[in-house]
Amino acid sequence: MKGAELVLKVLQQHGVDTVFGYPGGAIMPIYDALYQSSIKHYLCRHEQGGAFSAIGYARASGKVGVCMATSGPGATNLITSLADAMLDSVPVVAITGQVSQAVMGSDAFQEVDVLGLSLAVTKHSFMVRSVDELAATLNEAFTIAQAGRPGPVLVDIPKDVQLADIDAELQAISKSNSNIQTSLANAAAARKLIAAAKKPVAYIGGGVHMADAMNQLQQFLASNPMPSVTTLKGMGSVAKDNEHYLGMLGMHGTQAANLAVQQCDLLICLGARFDDRVTGNLQKFAPLAKVIHVDIDPAEINKVRFAQVALLGDMKQILPAISTQNNCSDWLTHCAQLKQQYGWRYDHPGERIYAPLLLKQLSERMPDNSVVACDVGQHQMWVAQHMRFSSPRNHLSSGGLGTMGFGLPAAIGAKLARPQDTVITVTGDGSFMMNVQELATIKRFRLPVKIVVIDNQRLGMVKQWQQLFFNERYSETDLSDNPDFVALAAAFAIPGHCITRKDEVTDALEAMFTWPGPYLLHVCIDDKDNVWPLVPPGAANEEMITEAKA
Amino acid sequence: MNHVLNITANNTPAVVERLLQVTRYRGYQLTGLEMKPRSDRSVAITLSVSGDKPIHLLTSQLHKLYDVVQLELAGSELAVLSA
Ligand SMILES: Cc1ncc(C[n+]2csc(CCOP(=O)(O)OP(=O)(O)O)c2C)c(N)n1
Repeated sequence: MKGAELVLKVLQQHGVDTVFGYPGGAIMPIYDALYQSSIKHYLCRHEQGGAFSAIGYARASGKVGVCMATSGPGATNLITSLADAMLDSVPVVAITGQVSQAVMGSDAFQEVDVLGLSLAVTKHSFMVRSVDELAATLNEAFTIAQAGRPGPVLVDIPKDVQLADIDAELQAISKSNSNIQTSLANAAAARKLIAAAKKPVAYIGGGVHMADAMNQLQQFLASNPMPSVTTLKGMGSVAKDNEHYLGMLGMHGTQAANLAVQQCDLLICLGARFDDRVTGNLQKFAPLAKVIHVDIDPAEINKVRFAQVALLGDMKQILPAISTQNNCSDWLTHCAQLKQQYGWRYDHPGERIYAPLLLKQLSERMPDNSVVACDVGQHQMWVAQHMRFSSPRNHLSSGGLGTMGFGLPAAIGAKLARPQDTVITVTGDGSFMMNVQELATIKRFRLPVKIVVIDNQRLGMVKQWQQLFFNERYSETDLSDNPDFVALAAAFAIPGHCITRKDEVTDALEAMFTWPGPYLLHVCIDDKDNVWPLVPPGAANEEMITEAKA
Repeated sequence: MNHVLNITANNTPAVVERLLQVTRYRGYQLTGLEMKPRSDRSVAITLSVSGDKPIHLLTSQLHKLYDVVQLELAGSELAVLSA
């Protein structure tokens, strides 16, 4: 067998039946092997899109996402998506073709130092020098992608290695990623802090669901009733019926979440990393709080915020071990009042569509367990604020990198991972155009993805900052000459509809959901609508600007 | 502050680049580098670095690298937390 066939055999050993990619010269042997393989390859229309689909697939399913590209431009097109996977800890294996070793290092056609490029955007990367190392290297790649804190791994395979003959019997692969070391030595100290706290808050990130510790989290919050807040990636971690859940914290978080964190005396950070979009001014973040930090990545402990007690390892084991008795009923009452006092308001004058209300309606109308993949900008924050999710696997949002163009291809990956579930992408008129070519992927595979374009004819989030912090100098954020999005979808055989008025929303959502195939709903909103509340740069999280104050 | 890190790593073609990339990105300056291959598989690397930030912010990131097998901060307790 050839190296190229071996690649696919090893992928199959790892349970891979779906890959995303785009062919080219240096990866042709692998594409030739794919021609007869039972692995289903989904041709994207740009490698960035293919890798985002792999990310969407991984995030929606919990499995490893796999993408491939050719050398040079194919591989460089992957870089943004790998960076996205790196910052959001998504297990992805990227396979790139490389020029033959005979010409490597000679500036050969489509030769780029992909291993060098990968250093800053992957958890690890390999260049395979010999076909004898190929299977073992791919196995390692899958192990590394999933072990501990997950992340992207790149495997660069020169063409001669793909073409080389090998008659190796496949080695059985060991599922080796279950031996996470967990130390419970600090559990007693954590319990002591929790038992003594008068005002505890659980601050929940993406690490909880990635550790598969959703049940343990609900039990922890049930036996130690306390207010909880989530990051963008943690949204959906807290059961919908948990009355003490306060929503997302941070720059566009809810006022209740931010105020509770600012006032708390104990912050229990579960699989989160004190990102600057969460903390605002770090010196003023949760100024009264002691911190318990639970994470699988030692490098996150004391990276930005000192933790009085740190616990490293498997969240599933740690959560029960730090569970104790705590009575903070006055604090719960106080936080319930904050939640009540600062609840969302959906009254909005005029006939025009108010995106937060539309998203709330969408959230209520969509089938249970729908996946929402969003793009980046104001609409992304409105999704986080106004939609509810039953699992973080149902809310795919580019958190760490904030990559426009994420939504559409991520939705494609999610739909392929979970064909039974409804998949919706909520995108902006700017972001949609960044990977709009993936409509062709939807067309080819007749993927029933629902596309909601929230069109404010602006690069809205940047425009909002220009309005608030740059003296209303609207430099290069006008998109009022957008294409006709419904006509654009029609070019890909995707039906659509455009709405501009509030009273059209209910029927339009109904039409979108009852249509059996892909569908584009073009939602025109007022370009003046902004995301509130907002913690301005450099401010503490209690210094939120609200619409009334703006 | 100057620090000396004694590292045992997999002897792979990119390993030094990885160490240097992390060192630079995390905001430390390289002041010295010495390496001795021990075998085909293993290499001993001594990194001297200077930086204003606490050194654990660097050691914890270097320790995370897949190719780093062992890391010691000369003249101090291991600054890396582990489970
Ligand atoms: C690839 C990329 N380029 C630039 C940015 C900076 N950026 C953040 S939000 C935004 C505007 C997004 O506009 P749109 O998709 O229309 O969403 P809106 O904010 O209007 O809802 C821009 C340009 C980014 N996040 N990603």
